Amino acid sequence: MKPNRFHLPSIAALIAAAGLAIFILVLLPSRGQETVEATPIQSDNPLDKPIVSEPPTQLDEGALLFWGVCMACHGNAGQGLTDEWREVAFGEDMDCWTSKCHASNHPPQGFEFPRIVPALAGGGKLGRFTSAQQLYDYVYAMMPWWNQGSLTTDQAWQVTAFLLKMNDTLPAGIPLDGKVASAIPVHRKLNTPQNDVPFSLALAAALVLIMLGWLAQEALRPAPVPAEPAAGDRPKGRPQRPNFIYHLHPPAIPAAQARWRYTLGAGGMAVFLMLVLAVTGLLEMFYYIPTPEEAAISVQTIHFFVPLGALVRNLHFWSAQLLVVVAALHMLRVIFTGAYASPRRFNYLLGLGLFVLALLLDFTGYVLRWDEGIRWALTAGTNLLASIPWVGEGLFRFVVGSSQVGPSTLVRFYTWHIYALTGVAGFVMIWHLFRVRRDGGIASPPPTLESTPPRITRFDLVRREVLGMFLAGIVLILMSIFLPAPLADPIRGTPTLATDTRAPWFFLWVQQLLKLGDPFLLGVLVPVAVVGVLGLIPYLLPAPAKEELGRWFPARGRIAQILVAVLLLVILGLTALAALTS
Amino acid sequence: MSKFSRRDFLKLTTDGLLTLGGVLSLGGLLRFLSYEKDPAPPSEYDLGPAINYLPDTTTVLAHIPAALICKGNNEYLAFSLVCTHLGCTVEQLNDTFECPCHGSVYDSEGQLKKGPSQKSLPRLKVTRNEEGNLILHMS
Repeated sequence: MKPNRFHLPSIAALIAAAGLAIFILVLLPSRGQETVEATPIQSDNPLDKPIVSEPPTQLDEGALLFWGVCMACHGNAGQGLTDEWREVAFGEDMDCWTSKCHASNHPPQGFEFPRIVPALAGGGKLGRFTSAQQLYDYVYAMMPWWNQGSLTTDQAWQVTAFLLKMNDTLPAGIPLDGKVASAIPVHRKLNTPQNDVPFSLALAAALVLIMLGWLAQEALRPAPVPAEPAAGDRPKGRPQRPNFIYHLHPPAIPAAQARWRYTLGAGGMAVFLMLVLAVTGLLEMFYYIPTPEEAAISVQTIHFFVPLGALVRNLHFWSAQLLVVVAALHMLRVIFTGAYASPRRFNYLLGLGLFVLALLLDFTGYVLRWDEGIRWALTAGTNLLASIPWVGEGLFRFVVGSSQVGPSTLVRFYTWHIYALTGVAGFVMIWHLFRVRRDGGIASPPPTLESTPPRITRFDLVRREVLGMFLAGIVLILMSIFLPAPLADPIRGTPTLATDTRAPWFFLWVQQLLKLGDPFLLGVLVPVAVVGVLGLIPYLLPAPAKEELGRWFPARGRIAQILVAVLLLVILGLTALAALTS
Repeated sequence: MSKFSRRDFLKLTTDGLLTLGGVLSLGGLLRFLSYEKDPAPPSEYDLGPAINYLPDTTTVLAHIPAALICKGNNEYLAFSLVCTHLGCTVEQLNDTFECPCHGSVYDSEGQLKKGPSQKSLPRLKVTRNEEGNLILHMS
């Protein structure tokens, strides 16, 4: 017994160390994306059309456009209309400034050739632009100067990419568009955008290895640790006391309370997701700037340029989405097994409150992106508040911080999200967990006549929790790699039309309802009524008897089960309808 | 019950004061959060010289957002483009204005054609100042 207990942890430690080593090895090359950017090739003659790859990249298209449209005035290397360039480009016509002299093809009457044309490349050039977005805005609106507004948005992005390339500030590997351009400075060379995939994969692999090593260790553990050694068995010397994590668990619980197929592990999973959200949210706070001008830009910065920023942001996003799913599953489990029956009625209400808080946290967090993707959801969501009779106006101002959505709204939502709602949710969560134990643990069948009903120790319980966390952690990381969190162009002044007008997925059913009519009735009363009905279930409907607890679909909870199943189907149906009819 | 002791009196007073304190704090919190830092939106917009707007055209003023219809012989008609349902900006589609959020439809002059909205887009007053500029009044 003794040698086993000595060796197996060290085997596990070895495996874990191997995992860590891989993880560190991959960490070094993971900084920066190793993509070879196909550059348009310029031949010896500066007037020749650049040779580009097939199909042309965004940068290639930019080079072609520059050659065809911009080069005549701005020079082949962006030097501006210098004397040398006029000589190279126009030869004997170099001193001709009149209409149709250099640009006979320009519509409709030709134009006076400008005398002064700014240089575009080199130190200190493009001085008036801070970000690629500003440069794009100028190019799109003002160029070419003889036919302003003739560039399409795609063409303007292509030219902007080429200008950045001339100044050596174009990040490799991501197409330039409104989703990233605000975070790209024109004058400072950026690290290439961060590629978090190798690191994330290594992290997931390390988790898998650690978990396997730990499982091996546990499987080979010779004998179960006794639940609570009798007083006489205590070894002499320092008394054995559980560490803090074990202390948070009861010494032993009936095995019936800890069956996966009964609890689904959903409650514990929700706690784990809350922890992930707290950690990743804290990390995001180091970069996030809650002002209307900077918010979306700082999100772009986190997502594209901060090392591992995309991993952190995606983990935060997916944990939040999964929290809604997992919490809903947890609630359905409690209703479909009748676990809400007294004495757990109050804790059921606490759980329902937590679920509503999770939805509010998700919505406020979604708004913090402050880009075109959230604009209409924010407008409709806050106007719903204003539609409430009498108190609506005041409530709207309380939440929004102004008579209309504006800069104050962002600061309010930031505070709601990271402090007020989080604080309340954290408090209620601890209360909820405390009440589980106070109410006698998870609902389970009453003790049988068996003299020693099977029990599991706190060590087993923690083991199961850790296993769940490992599995969830691996799934989260994989989701973060393959499904990036959404982004859109920053909100700037007038709304760009035809942007995303969908509500976040968990409110799609409300949006679908709202298409039918009165905002107050359908957007406020109906959701509040759903929560109210759920809250009243343990107080008004017949509850399962003690003998019926601990299993699915007890007969005496039938009314509640049918009611909730119908509600669920209606909500899912509305959501599907909204998702399908874009 | 018949006897209201000194202890009862003290308890009642203390509870009363506690309640009062709670209500006052809540009121204080609401007052604290009621300040509006952002400036109110402008009550009128200068739309520039009237001659810029050709007869029988509809101009979408996206920054307000509003639409201005010039009907010829110096008759102007303007209405807001904020949907009366839940405040999204309606989009011009052929001869109608449609809300992208919940699908309300208004005709070319902002009159309600199809819900969920209950009201037409609000008409806005247009006047002309001494310089011949059109002024749009938001209320």
